[in-house]
Order: sequence, then C-alpha cells, then structure tokens
Amino acid sequence: MSTPPQPRTSEGAPATQRLQLTLFISGASPRSVQAVRRLRDLCDRHAASGYDLEIVDIYQQPEDVVARGVLAVPTLIKELPLPVQVLIGDFTNGPRILAALGLSPVQTTDV
Amino acid sequence: MTNTDVEDLGKLPRTQLPKSPTGIDGFDEITDGGLPTGRPTLVCGPAGAGKTLFALHFLVNGVNRYSEPGVLLTFEQDGADVVADASSLGFDLDGLERDGRLLVDALTLEPQVVDTGDFDLEALMVRLAFSVRNVSAKRVAIDNVEALFATFSQPSLSRSELRRLFRWLKNQGLTTVITGERGDNLLTRHGIEEYLSDCVVVLDDRVVQDVATRRLRVLKYRGSTHGRNEYPFLIGHDGLEVLPITSLSLNQEVSHERLSTGINGLDEMLGGFGVFRGSAVLVSGTSGTGKTTIAATFADAACRRGEKVLFFSFEESSSEIYRNMASVGMDIGGWVQQGLLRFHCERPTTRGLEDHLATMQALIHEFAPTLVVIDPVSSLARGATPFDVSAMLMRQVYYLKSAGITAVMTGLDEEAGVEQAIVKISSLVDTSLEVVMLTAFGERNRGLYVLKSRGMAHSNQVREFVLSDIGVDVVPVVIGAEGVLTGSARIAAQSAERAAAEGLSLESEKLATALEHRRESVDAHVATLRADFAAEERLTRRLIEASEQRQQAVQRDRLAQGLRRTVIPPENQP
Repeated sequence: MSTPPQPRTSEGAPATQRLQLTLFISGASPRSVQAVRRLRDLCDRHAASGYDLEIVDIYQQPEDVVARGVLAVPTLIKELPLPVQVLIGDFTNGPRILAALGLSPVQTTDV
Repeated sequence: MTNTDVEDLGKLPRTQLPKSPTGIDGFDEITDGGLPTGRPTLVCGPAGAGKTLFALHFLVNGVNRYSEPGVLLTFEQDGADVVADASSLGFDLDGLERDGRLLVDALTLEPQVVDTGDFDLEALMVRLAFSVRNVSAKRVAIDNVEALFATFSQPSLSRSELRRLFRWLKNQGLTTVITGERGDNLLTRHGIEEYLSDCVVVLDDRVVQDVATRRLRVLKYRGSTHGRNEYPFLIGHDGLEVLPITSLSLNQEVSHERLSTGINGLDEMLGGFGVFRGSAVLVSGTSGTGKTTIAATFADAACRRGEKVLFFSFEESSSEIYRNMASVGMDIGGWVQQGLLRFHCERPTTRGLEDHLATMQALIHEFAPTLVVIDPVSSLARGATPFDVSAMLMRQVYYLKSAGITAVMTGLDEEAGVEQAIVKISSLVDTSLEVVMLTAFGERNRGLYVLKSRGMAHSNQVREFVLSDIGVDVVPVVIGAEGVLTGSARIAAQSAERAAAEGLSLESEKLATALEHRRESVDAHVATLRADFAAEERLTRRLIEASEQRQQAVQRDRLAQGLRRTVIPPENQP
C-alpha cells in the first residue's frame, strides 16, 4: 500500500507507508485539546509519508471505545503500518512517541 | 448472629440500609440481606480464593432472581474464556447476554502500551457507562481491578483514577463488587481498600492438617450490622455457598408421620410405629455391633415403601454392602437396580470436610431422597478438629431436617475425639439408638436400646439384636435368676420354659394317675387292716367273755365254801 507523498511531508524523509492513526479523546477537555495539538504538530513535522488521523470523542462514540478496548484518554492507536501500536498519554514525551510510531525525527529548528 | 441480637435490643426506630441480595446461600444471612445497594463492595483474597466466582454469583443471581441486569467488566481474561469458565460452574453468561440482561466487557490489557505522558481513565468510565446504559444495569462487577496497576506505569495516577471510578459508580447508584488480590500487609496489593470503605469481604483458603477450607469474613460493613465471624464456604456443584453455623434457624416444619425402621422389634421399642419422618437418627456402638445393618434396614424399609434413599458410605464399597446385607436377607443391590437406592462411596480422607458436605448436599439436591444414610459419620472426622466435625454434622443435620429428609447416621463409639463430636450432635438427633455388646456365658451378643427418642413413648429395655440369614430382628431378652440372658443362654432358657409349659399337662395327668393308684392301694390297705381288726376284735371279745364267766364261777365257789364252815346259821343264833 503506497500512497503519494502529501504536501505537508518534509523533503528528504524515506518514503515509507502512510500512517493511519486513531486518537481517542474526552470531549474538549484541556488535556484532550492539547493532545490533539501536540500530535498534529509531531506528525506534521515527522510523518514523511503523510498520515490520516481519526479523532474519536469517547463521549460521542462510546461503542468505539468498547470495540477498541480503550481505557485511558488520550489513547492513540497506530493502525498502520503494522504492527498495531497503542500509545497512552498526552504526548509530552516526544522521542518516545516517534519511536513508537516508527518515525525518525526530522531535524528541524524547534524539536 | 450476635450483632442482630444487639440490634434487636435497640429500641430506636431506624431505617435499614437498602441491601441487594447476592443470592449466595448463607452470605445474605450473615450480612442481613446482602451487599449495600448502590455502593461498591470490595471482595479481596489470595489467588484462587473464589473472588471471581463471588462476583459472578452476585451478577448472575441479580439477573435471574432479582431482575437486576448487570455488567461484568473483567481485566483478567478475554470474553470467551470468561464465558467458558462461568459455564463450567453453571452460569450461562452467553444466554444472559443474548437476552440483553447481562453484558460482559472483557478488557485485555496490553502490557506493551507506550506511555507518552499524562492520561486519565475517563474512557473506562465512558465504556462502563455505555455498557450500563445498554442493559439498564443495576449491578456491576469489576474483576480484578488491580490489573490496571500492571498496565499503567504511574501507580499514583491509577490510584486516583480508581478513586474517581468508585465515586462515579456510587453516584450512578450501582451496586458494585470489585475484586482485588491480597497484598503483603494490605488487604489488596495496591491498597485500594482505602477508597472502598462501605463494605469489605475477605476470602481465604487455608490449609489445616492437609485439608483446605475456604473461609469468608465480612471485615466491615458501614451502616449495617453483620456476622463478624469467619464462615466456612464451599465451591461446590452449585457454586459458592457460605455456611454460617451460627445463623442456622430453628424453624423447620415437623412431620407427625412415622416411618418403620424395618425391624419389627425396634418399631415396637419406639412406641410401635418407628421414627418420625424428617427426624435425625443416630445409631452408635462399638465396632462390629451391626450399625451398618441397622442403617441398611432403614434404607430397605424406605425402598419397600417406594421411597428414594441416598446411602453415603465412607468405609465400605457398595458391593461389600450388597454382599453383607444379603447375608442377613436384604437385597440391597435390587433396590439399586430399581433406582430407589443410590450409593455414594468415598474414602473420607480423599477430600476436606467442607468438600464432603458440599458433595453430599449436591447429591441430595440432585437425587431428592426421602431418607439419607451416612455411614459412619465418625470416619469423616479423621484429620479434622472435633469442632469442625460437629459444626459440619450440625449443618448437615439442619440441612436435612429443613428439607424434611430423614437422616440415619451411624457413629463408631471408640474413636477418640469423635466421641465428643457425636456427643455434640447427639443433642441434635431425635432418636438415638445404642448397640452394645453383652458378654456372658462365653458369648458376645448384641444388645440394643433406645438412648432417647423425642416425642414418643419408647421402651427402656435392652433388647437383643439378632442377625440371621432370614433377617434382622430385635427380640426381648430373658431376665432369669442369672440376670439378663442373651444368645444361646436366652434360647436355652426360652426353650426350657417352653418345654416346661408343654410338659406340664402331661405331668399332671401322670400325677393324677399315680394318685389314683395310690388311692386304690391305700383303700385296699385300709380294707385289709379293717378285716384284720375285725377278726382281732372278735377274738378279743370272746376271750374277755370267757374270763368274766370264769371270775363269776370262782366267786360262787367261795360263797359255797363259807356256808359250809359256819356252825350256826346266822338267822338262828340266840
């Protein structure tokens, strides 16, 4: 499954599989809002092959919470590329997130 | 339940805390109604203590008996495993889920979760709320909540989130059972009991003298009285069962119907009709006195009436009993073939005391007999403390009595310790029969007497208990000059008596004849004597006559001589 690079992709990154992510958040809580902002920021900068991010509000879609076995918020599930990886937390630990997502940090000024 | 008694003393009107029954036999009794409604209860204990089972009982009984749908949130296993395990214990989780009355939410916690910063467990509450709404649940079980600590690396966060969860459950008015593994010095490994202060139940599985006994204790119950003892509990065929010895109530219905013991002579001793239906009978005696045989006659008599009998044998196999009873004319095997009699033979040492009780009750429940034989109760006592034994027997007796089942138990007298146990239950039994060995004239014979028999006139005699190839009977002994005669001495005495009675008429006839002969001979003798006398009399009288004539002649001669000697005649003198 190869997809053409997205416009936001930084140049020079290896053309790997496009990231498919699902993020579970709890409504508009400050932690959730911040988590979404941090995740988008990280992906924008480091996901060279581009990414799709689906955001699930646990209050709106509880059946998805049950179906995916989610306990904590924020929970990020990396659906693709395989293996599926589950990340819990508000994305304050940048390097650990990148490693879990299989991304190599791209050298930019404000990492 | 001492606490209840105390409560009864209080005169203040009080509102009873609403309670949700668990449907676990015995538990609702010791908690005076069950778990606190709308509040979380912590059930903790070591691995394998029965925590999950407790939670399942609470939920499934809630659905089936109290129309309260439930949600099971489990961190322990995946959904299919939970359902499979539960079905092996007789819980049809699948069926209840299909009916929409129960929801199993099995969470497999992945240890390889990457921790990227702060989080909360809002999703857990959301999914729980979703499940609760789905089935309109009133009850929730969370098994085992401490698994969360293994998944998330920040214990303080897990703890504060759990606290929030418990508060949420309380706010939702959900009656909840939360299980937790026992820790080293704490009730739970992560000290969550700190947040669960409404009701705490501690389960334990202890091994004493190689016998494992499960115990349950209600450590605290805010706003309610509860039995504070440790209660033994069982995991049997019907699941979990708490056995609160102290709360056994004495309100069973009694029957006035009388049952034959199967031994005519014994029925006679018991007022002529035998024992009461639904009563407890204890047959005690030393080894070899025929206790099993007496128990078997009760069984045989019940089968003859077409009733079902369950025979628990802890010393002999069923085939041994068939053979032994056939030797006294009882066809025990025949009743088994007809399905009226069932044997359960087991070595008493194979399992713990409580396990035996559970098995016995399960079998009784399944077979629904009207009479149960436990032969012997004393052998169950090996390896157990006398208190355990008497407590168990007491429960067994109460169980049978409350079910209206006649219980026939045998007890061996000579085992140390057991005697005490038997002494303790002897106050529970209604009819106590004692078989003793009577030794006299070089023989040992069995004597049987009624130690007690409540509610009926009964014989105070020691009777002889006779086993023969035509059957079993209890016969009156003979009391002769030598004392109580049994065995061949009794038979000899009896036959002598019989012979005497028979011989008496013959004897008197003989005597009468002899007397007649004697009379004839006496009469003859008298006749002879009379004849002799008459002859003698005649002779004597002739002799007397002759002598008198001679005397008169002498006198005449003397006068004549005198006249001749006188010169002057007396009239012619001057």
